[in-house]
Amino acid sequence: MSTIRVRSPASYWLAVPAAAWMLGVVVVPIVLLVWVSFWGGRTFSTTSPLTFDNYARFFANQTYVKLAMSTVVHTATLMAVTGVLGYCIAYFLTMKVRSPIWRMALFLAFIVPFWTSTLIRAIAWIPFLGVNGVINQTLMFVGVTQSPIEAFLYSRTGITMAQVSLYTMMAAGPVVYMLNSIAPALREAAMTLKAPPLVVFWRIVFPLTLPGVVIGQVLVFLNVMSDFATVATIGGNKHALLSNLVLLFYEGSQIRAASVVAVLLMICMLIGVVAALRVVDIRRLGADR
Amino acid sequence: MDTLAQPSRVDEAVAPVLARPQLDLELRGIRKRYGDFTAVDGISLKVAKGQFVCLLGPSGCGKTTTLRCVAGLEEPDDGGVLIGGKEVTRNPPWQRDIAMMFQDFALFPHMTVAKQVAFGLEMLKKPKAEIAKRVHEVLTSFEIAVLADRKPASLSGGQRQRVALARAMITEPRILLLDEPIGALDYSLRETVMLELKLLQQRTGISFIWVTHDQNEAFSLGDLVVVMNHAHIEQQGTPEEILQRPATAFVAGFVQGNNVFRGRVVEVTAGLAKVATAAGSFLVSVGPSPPLAGDEVSFSVRAERITDIVSDRHLNVLSARCTAVEYFGSVRRHIFERADGEVLKYDQFGAHAARIAVGQRSTLGWQPEDSVLHTGRVE
Repeated sequence: MSTIRVRSPASYWLAVPAAAWMLGVVVVPIVLLVWVSFWGGRTFSTTSPLTFDNYARFFANQTYVKLAMSTVVHTATLMAVTGVLGYCIAYFLTMKVRSPIWRMALFLAFIVPFWTSTLIRAIAWIPFLGVNGVINQTLMFVGVTQSPIEAFLYSRTGITMAQVSLYTMMAAGPVVYMLNSIAPALREAAMTLKAPPLVVFWRIVFPLTLPGVVIGQVLVFLNVMSDFATVATIGGNKHALLSNLVLLFYEGSQIRAASVVAVLLMICMLIGVVAALRVVDIRRLGADR
Repeated sequence: MDTLAQPSRVDEAVAPVLARPQLDLELRGIRKRYGDFTAVDGISLKVAKGQFVCLLGPSGCGKTTTLRCVAGLEEPDDGGVLIGGKEVTRNPPWQRDIAMMFQDFALFPHMTVAKQVAFGLEMLKKPKAEIAKRVHEVLTSFEIAVLADRKPASLSGGQRQRVALARAMITEPRILLLDEPIGALDYSLRETVMLELKLLQQRTGISFIWVTHDQNEAFSLGDLVVVMNHAHIEQQGTPEEILQRPATAFVAGFVQGNNVFRGRVVEVTAGLAKVATAAGSFLVSVGPSPPLAGDEVSFSVRAERITDIVSDRHLNVLSARCTAVEYFGSVRRHIFERADGEVLKYDQFGAHAARIAVGQRSTLGWQPEDSVLHTGRVE
C-alpha cells in the first residue's frame, strides 16, 4: 500500500509540475489560437473585434472545403489500410511466429526504421518512389513496364504509400499488446465448443483485441491529420491537406486564416477521438481480465 | 430432452451399455514429445460408456497432456485416439464429440453468462429459439439464471465454475474433459462441488475424464483411477484396488497412508517372502507368481494395518521412536522414525486406544498379509 492517499493534499503537489507544463504549452496556446481565429477588423491586435468572418471566408471558398473533405477521405483511407495491415502483422508476430528469437528479430526489423525522425523517413521515400527510383527501376527490370511510372512520387498514391509505411506500426503496436494478453485457453475453450478457427477469431480474438484496434486507429488518425511533412515532401507542391494549409497561411503571415484551419483541424480530431471512445472505453482497457 | 435436468434418463443410458458394450474413449499407446522431453510415453486406456475416470499424478506426469491429446489440442506423435469407436487422432478439437472444462475456467471475458453458455449451441447451428430455451433451462438447473446478464469479471470463483460447467455440458458431449476443475475453488467449496459433479455425471451418463493431483478427489469421484508418473501409467483400477493393492512403490508412496519398504528377497516359502530392508527383515505374503530369492522388490503396509498391541500373529515387528502425532478428527496419525531414516506412519482410529506420546519408543507390528508386494514395473 502506498503511504500517499490518493486524494491527500500532498498528492496534488505531485501533479503541479506536469500541470504547469501542460498549461503553458497546451492550454494557453490553444486558447490563444481559438481567440485569434475570431479576430476581425483590419489591425492585428488584442483590441480586434471578435467575428465569425474568418470562418465564413474559409467555408465560402470551395477549394478549402474540398481540401478539408479530401483530408478526411485521405485519413480514412490511411486508417483502413494501416488497420488491416497492422492487424495482420500483429497477428502474425504474436500468433504465428513460435520461436521467441524470430519474434524478437522480426519485431526489431519492424521498428528499427522508427528510430529515425519522421521527416528523414519521409525524405527517404523520394529515391524510392521517384521516376528513376527503386520501384520504377525494379518494375522495368522485371519487365512489368517499359517506361517509368510517374504516379509514385508527387502524387496521392506516393503520399499514401509513404504514410502507410510510417503509421502501420502505430496501428499494429496496441494490437500486439492486446493479442498477447489473450490467454491461449480462451481460444482452446472456443475450439472445444466446436468453433472452427475463423469463428474463434471472429467471436473471441477480434472482440478482445478491439480496444487495441481502436487505440491504433486513433493514433493513426491523429498523426495523419497533422502530418504536413510527408505530404509536403512526397506530394511536392501539387498536393496538400489541411495541415499543409496551416503552414501555407502561416508562411504567408495570414495568422487569422491559419488559426481558423488549426481550430477546424482540432475540432475534427476531437470528434474522431470522442467517436473512438464511444466504441471502446480505453480507460477501462484490460479491466475485464 | 434435457439430460441435465431429468434424472430419469439414467435407466435409458445404462440399458444399451449392457446390450452393446461400447467404449467412449480408447487411447492406443499415445506418445507426445516436446524436444527432448517426453510428456506422454505410450498411454493406453479404455473408458467404458458413462465412466468417471480420474487421471491422478504429480505435476509434470503427463496427465494434462494426455487430456489435451483427447481434446485434440495436442496431436500425439504416435498412437491413436478413438472417441465412441471412431478414430479421431488427427481431427481438430471442433470435430470431436467432447467438451472441456479448463483449470481457470477460460470464460470469455467479453461475453455475458448467457452468451457463454449459448456459444456451444450456436456452433452447432441450432435454431435461435431453441438455443434461448435450452440456455434458460441449463442456467436454471445450474442455479445461475440470476447471473445471465453478468460478465465473468463480476462473478465469484464458485459462480465461474458453474458457468464453465454449464457452458461445457449444454452441448451434451460424449465425454467431458476436466482439467483440475475445482483446483481454483476455495477449499470449503470443493467438497460440495465434487458431490454435485459426481451426481451430475451419474444422472447424465456422460463420461468424465478428470485430471487432478489431489488423491481425495480421485478416490472419492473415480470409477476408474489412473495413476500416472513420468509420462506413463503406473496403475489403473478402482479406488479400492489402488488403495488396497498398490502395484508399484511409486503408487504406494503417492497414495496417502502407505509405508513403503524396499529391499531384497532372502527366501520364499509357503506363500511368504522374506525381504531384507534397511529397516529390518520382514515377511510379506506373495501372490500366484512369487518373486525369486535375490530379487529387488518393494512392498507397502497401510498405516491403519499396523498395531501397537503386538501378538503372536504379528510376525513383523519394528521398534521405533514416535516423532510426531497428527490429529485428523477420526484418525490419529503417529509418525515414527524408522531405522533406515524414513518415516513409519501408524494410524489409530477413534479415541479408545492408548495414546502414544511424542518421544516415546514403541513396538509396532503387522501380519504378512497386511503388506502388499508390488508387482508392477520397478523403477
